[in-house]
Amino acid sequence: MDSKVMNLKDAVSMIKDGTKIALGGNVLHRAPMAFVREIARQGIKDLQIVKTAGAHDIDLLSAMGNVSSVEAGFVSYETKYGLASHYRKGVESGEIVAHEHACYTVISALRGAVINAPFMPVHGLKTGDLLIENDYFVVVEDPFTGEPVTLVRTITPDVAIIHVHECDAKGNARIFGPKFEDVLMSRAAKKVIITTEQIVPESKMKYQNEHIDIPGFLVSAVVHTPKGASPCSCYKKYDIDEKTLEAFVSYKEKSEIQSYLDEYEQKDHAGGRGMFI
Amino acid sequence: MMHTEEKSYRISDLMTCAIANMLQDHETVFHGVASHMPMVAMQLAKHTHAPNLTHLNIPGGVNPSSIKEASYSSAGSDLFAHSESYFPLEEVFDLSMRGGLDVAFLGGVQFDIHGNVNASVIGDYHKPKVRLPGGAGSAVLIPTAKKAIIWRTKHDTRTFVEQVDFVTTRGNVWKIITPLCIFEYRNGKLHLDSIHPTSSLEEVKENTGFELLYDELKYTEEPTTEQLNVLKKIDPFDYRSLEF
Repeated sequence: MDSKVMNLKDAVSMIKDGTKIALGGNVLHRAPMAFVREIARQGIKDLQIVKTAGAHDIDLLSAMGNVSSVEAGFVSYETKYGLASHYRKGVESGEIVAHEHACYTVISALRGAVINAPFMPVHGLKTGDLLIENDYFVVVEDPFTGEPVTLVRTITPDVAIIHVHECDAKGNARIFGPKFEDVLMSRAAKKVIITTEQIVPESKMKYQNEHIDIPGFLVSAVVHTPKGASPCSCYKKYDIDEKTLEAFVSYKEKSEIQSYLDEYEQKDHAGGRGMFI
Repeated sequence: MMHTEEKSYRISDLMTCAIANMLQDHETVFHGVASHMPMVAMQLAKHTHAPNLTHLNIPGGVNPSSIKEASYSSAGSDLFAHSESYFPLEEVFDLSMRGGLDVAFLGGVQFDIHGNVNASVIGDYHKPKVRLPGGAGSAVLIPTAKKAIIWRTKHDTRTFVEQVDFVTTRGNVWKIITPLCIFEYRNGKLHLDSIHPTSSLEEVKENTGFELLYDELKYTEEPTTEQLNVLKKIDPFDYRSLEF
């Protein structure tokens, strides 16, 4: 049996400049932060990011100049930590193109990829400037009723990066607690990379096979990254790291963020090749 | 009557109770991201007049019995851990599309008299002066939920403007609640529905960038002692005031 386990460095080097990546999790919950930080360290450029609602992940990559566009419904920390200032600056300076969606239209666009349809009808989006300003929304006549119907162009991520609680060496993965859009992303993307709190024996996953969210045959790589969502939360494993986030949102200089990346470097690589014993 | 007597509640309490009063028993209600105040209001309604209200949220925990764990997110782990079942976000949207969502809570940064909502940009969309977080689900939920309620803890002429910079979505807004008053959207325009007893018509006028329309002057109901007591229990860390 081929193991898909690899170290973080090698897994991230699968991401080429210009890749369209879907990031799992939601706002400050279960974002694949270890992977995201390694992207920043390796200096990958022109990434196109897909997510319904992002925060620290998109903000960090924006700060380090890794991003060319973001397709999302919401990019911000929540009330306590304020706006994603690096993302905001990137968009305002013209470095990053913000393709604003309505969260659900990202979901619809990913569903289009799941069934390999070029677009999907979206019932709810009927009015407003998002329809006018964005070429990925088109209003057409429903051929059956003659009524107007909005279509969203399908989004097919090249790679989905999803942080999970446990998986085996084949990539059979289980998420505990809220799954957000991660299962959908795993079906929509051309490739799936799993980062995981724990690599467990195949026998254990087999024993709970009905609870597997992402079957291993869809997965290209497995990376062992304990605390790999931190400073974001990981359900029942750890809550957010408030100190780190508080410090991060106050950073203005790239050098400050570089030292944040340096501080995490050893921890991010601690999983090594992911032996589970 | 205003500003004279010492109040036993704060504006955040009044807003939370007023939001709870907008909710009815047996309604299916959703709140999204960065939505502590509506989250607490929903829980308050459930503990008082609306025990059969269905509480939906982003982590997908249906009817969580606790909302205390995360001050930094209205998607804290207890919303899932203390729920009765799992109904994920994509399905909440699907439900709204087919007409099954009674109430959705949404935010925004600018509003005008025509019920236009801006949560996207200040300035030009493609070259914004300020890139805002984005409307999240607003653009599909405001048109499809039976009632859309917007809350905003700022009420000034930069928020309630003559014309919004960008229309993230429009129409079908039911109520907008602020620290000063409640607007209702009727016949294509925002009308002053009630003024909070802590404010005044003059104050609302001064801080609103469009003409105030109203048939009669009404005041928002004050929180009851029961409501304030329940709030202490369900929201001991005062998340309802986070935005103040």
